[in-house]
Amino acid sequence: MNKPLCALALLAWHASAAYPQDARQIMTEVQNRAQSKSEHYEGSLEVINASQKISKKRWAYDRLGVYGNSKSELRFIAPPDVKGVALLVINHPERASDQWMWIPAEERDRRIALQDRSTRFFGTDFSFEDLEERDIDQYDFKLLGDDKLDEGDCWKIESRPKESKTSQYTSSLLWVRKDRYFLVRTDNFIKDRLVRQIAYRDVESIDGIWTALSVAVVDFTRNSRTMLSLEKVKYNLPVKGGQFTRESFRQ
Amino acid sequence: MSRLLVVFVWAVGLTVHAQGFSQRGFVEMNGNLYTQIVPNDSAYGTGEGRFRYEPKWQPQTWLTLNASLEARLDTHHQNSRSLQVDWMDRSLLRPAVSVRQLSAVLKRDNLTMALGKQSIRWGEADFLNPTDRFAPKDLLTIVDQEVLPVTAARLTYTLGNNALNLVWQPLFTPGRIPLVNQRWTFIPEAFSQFDVQNLGSNFPGRSSFGARWSRTSAGYEWSLSYYDGFNYLPSLNASVDATLARISYSPSYPALRLYGADFAVPLPLLTLKGESAYYTSPKNQQDEYLLYVLQLERQIHEMRLIFGYAGEVVTAHAQTQQFPGERGFARAVFGQVHYTLDSNRALTLDVFVRQNGESAILRPGYSQSFGDHWRATVSFTWLSGDARDFVGQYHRNSFATAGLRYSF
Repeated sequence: MNKPLCALALLAWHASAAYPQDARQIMTEVQNRAQSKSEHYEGSLEVINASQKISKKRWAYDRLGVYGNSKSELRFIAPPDVKGVALLVINHPERASDQWMWIPAEERDRRIALQDRSTRFFGTDFSFEDLEERDIDQYDFKLLGDDKLDEGDCWKIESRPKESKTSQYTSSLLWVRKDRYFLVRTDNFIKDRLVRQIAYRDVESIDGIWTALSVAVVDFTRNSRTMLSLEKVKYNLPVKGGQFTRESFRQ
Repeated sequence: MSRLLVVFVWAVGLTVHAQGFSQRGFVEMNGNLYTQIVPNDSAYGTGEGRFRYEPKWQPQTWLTLNASLEARLDTHHQNSRSLQVDWMDRSLLRPAVSVRQLSAVLKRDNLTMALGKQSIRWGEADFLNPTDRFAPKDLLTIVDQEVLPVTAARLTYTLGNNALNLVWQPLFTPGRIPLVNQRWTFIPEAFSQFDVQNLGSNFPGRSSFGARWSRTSAGYEWSLSYYDGFNYLPSLNASVDATLARISYSPSYPALRLYGADFAVPLPLLTLKGESAYYTSPKNQQDEYLLYVLQLERQIHEMRLIFGYAGEVVTAHAQTQQFPGERGFARAVFGQVHYTLDSNRALTLDVFVRQNGESAILRPGYSQSFGDHWRATVSFTWLSGDARDFVGQYHRNSFATAGLRYSF
């Protein structure tokens, strides 16, 4: 191969690597860059309802396993009124997650059925479905073009759940920051109606993984919003799988 | 046992600042106002205060120590006035100070072992749990059922979607039945002037054992269970002496062998849950019967709906007078509505109707939290029915409840 042709090929490869035009390729890279074997954080939540009343909660989150095929446990640690309430999520790459909620006062866990996933999780603006991981293989993606948000230049991508995936959302619009392959915003639609927006802010690199330390959720149907602030974020800690079973979660 | 408790509290005290320590608890005041008095109880109102403290310490990743201590005081003498710490939970009155939990949980890979006093719940249904035999109930007020903890060793082995639960309960814990001098014991008119004497309970000497295998999958979950032990509800062995106008009874606890199953199937629109158990009596000390529950659940936005039927099929009768307990709530339809108004407020409605229409319970309730610590609850329990029906006999016991809890 002569030198000019070689340089042209190299340039073309570089361009395709830096600016991939395929939405699935972008989302694969987003997922790959967020990979970790385990994760822990403590989250402070502020739920601000339509009449501007603020309620505060705090939870501890632990996850084990690769994205989309992981197990996670979310347990409220404050306020005292809800302390101990927990959610166990077993994510599956090929189908919707399995979820159970534990309420200490009832001394019994309850499976969250698929038709319940659009319900708000314990008074926050997260629905149960928002707390599961969206494995890219369960969605079809379409690149809609470039867009500019405050966070920087983004790709705007439409995602639709595949037939095998049960979702409350008909479609979602995703904004992915070009320089970091980081998801900064998700607008979720039921039919053509925007129902929930999740924005990922205050992005920092922790253990080499871009991490949003602030997540803002707006529920447009209730005119309510939740601010989640992440603290004590750690990745790849030694965690045992036995922690993420229904038996363990009841302790 | 009190010494053990002191050691635990001392150990906890030393490690309050240690990593892995957490605690919670509450102080609660409740008041009940009855709509009418009954022949054996002239009180319109009752009140109770309760304090619970639950420390938890995880000194090692494989070891967790849990405790729960409770103190109660009431106006109606349903609680003992003795300050002795109660471990056995065998008294007719609720203990004033009791250990609800004191257990060590050891974990290694897929194996979990819990030793000590603990709460063990089996089953999937919400209204009535036929398979839940390691959870004796406090039925002092019949409609407000509390689960009592038991002293047991529990071994759980989890492998993939399967879990095997083995329970050995060396010390028997009886359920608590209504006090004879209070409104939740119904004495027929003909015996209203009789003196009622409890001659003392006969508690079983041997231990109980249970096994439960459960499997969880994408479209369903089910379990099979076996129990060999004793009914926590007593046979009363009552005798009437008309000349002395005296009724004597001596509670004993029939041997029980039980085969159970439960399942939950999330369907596209509803979740179907079922639970059943066949109760056999190896020594013919009680009836043999199948108790089952079928229920449907549906979540519609912030509203959770449960509707179901609890049934019973008796296969053999025994000549004993047994306290009905959960059997008294079978052969009935039931429903529950839980509506979350917002992150602080919720409305509830519980409905029970006997299939022959001879009794009914309707209980609307409202709860609201204030700030981080306070929660207020109000409800009204309306009871109706025929005096020949287990629930219907309490038709004069409708009451309003107000409660205030401070959680920490």
